[in-house]
Amino acid sequence: MDTFALMLGWAGIYGPTALGAIGSIMGCARAGQAACGAMLDVESGYGRFIALSALPSSQIIYGIVVMFALNRDVTTESAPGLFAVGILCGLALMASAAFQGKCCASAIVATKTKPEVFGLSAAPAAIVEGFAVFAFVFALVIAGGIPSTGT
Amino acid sequence: MDYYTLIASLPALPPHFGVERTPVSRPRLRQLLKQLTEEDADTIHQLTRFFSWDRQLLDQSEDDIARRYDELMQNHQTMIRQIVSLRINVRTIVAALRCRRDDLAPPTAVGELVEPIRRNWNHPTFGLSHRYPWIETFSDHMLAGETARADRTLFEYTWQTWSRMAAQYTFSFEAVPLYVARWEIVDRWTSRDMDAGKERFEQLTHEALGEYAELQF
Repeated sequence: MDTFALMLGWAGIYGPTALGAIGSIMGCARAGQAACGAMLDVESGYGRFIALSALPSSQIIYGIVVMFALNRDVTTESAPGLFAVGILCGLALMASAAFQGKCCASAIVATKTKPEVFGLSAAPAAIVEGFAVFAFVFALVIAGGIPSTGT
Repeated sequence: MDYYTLIASLPALPPHFGVERTPVSRPRLRQLLKQLTEEDADTIHQLTRFFSWDRQLLDQSEDDIARRYDELMQNHQTMIRQIVSLRINVRTIVAALRCRRDDLAPPTAVGELVEPIRRNWNHPTFGLSHRYPWIETFSDHMLAGETARADRTLFEYTWQTWSRMAAQYTFSFEAVPLYVARWEIVDRWTSRDMDAGKERFEQLTHEALGEYAELQF
């Protein structure tokens, strides 16, 4: 039972990075595919497409920071907290990156047709990013309350 | 399959079909659609062939059209069935209105409206005005011999229907047939002026080249 609890603790520590990475992969892939498609249709403004398609990569960075904040000796006392905070934060990061990719793909299509809406079309992606930041910041705050024996 | 690259590569359609030229030529559209899988491409090919049936009446029998209709109505994509159903319904109504104008019998085509039209043959809108509010306007224009206005009424209705449906889909397969269906409307509308365009081109050629425009090789 202790081993299982410890495994969950380790999953909680690595969860934000792994789940954040999965989300960033999905988001960047979707937006990147849209960017490639848009490049087939227009003769300029490629840089904007690439910039938009890279937006969902921030979630993996948040995940890495949360992982470092959670990193401590895994004991039966700390494992439940590590698991809960790490996995829930990771899921939030994954969802935000995946859906941000959709927002970015739509922004790329909009920008391709009307370059003047570049800033506005990125607003939905920025709002989604905001939710990821909430999950990230409060994971750091909550992490302070998890027992950290041996550190 | 993901449709992000394909959808993003399709030039945006205009807000209204009444433009001077299509946003993308037919060969270029065909080239872009090569990104589809074989199965999806086959579905789109069937759909475009079906769309062009009323331009090639002399080449096709009613059995051919019925066979294509049946093939498409067996497609597992609901959107394809909806597009085909709407298209055949519109064509059935138009054919019925023309038959009635010319004192002919009701059309014996395919589709769900053949029977309701036959039952309500003497009703001005075949009892279908609640579902197809354009029938009365179209009929008025057709009887007045205003072909362009009648066509425009049809295109307006179809365009709005496709656009409303397209708003529900962004990067899925459904967006592709809806794009093709709306592109087809723009193409049909713009090609109405093809002869006028050809005449204008020849006129400009004469103005620019003078007697050299008449050179034969």
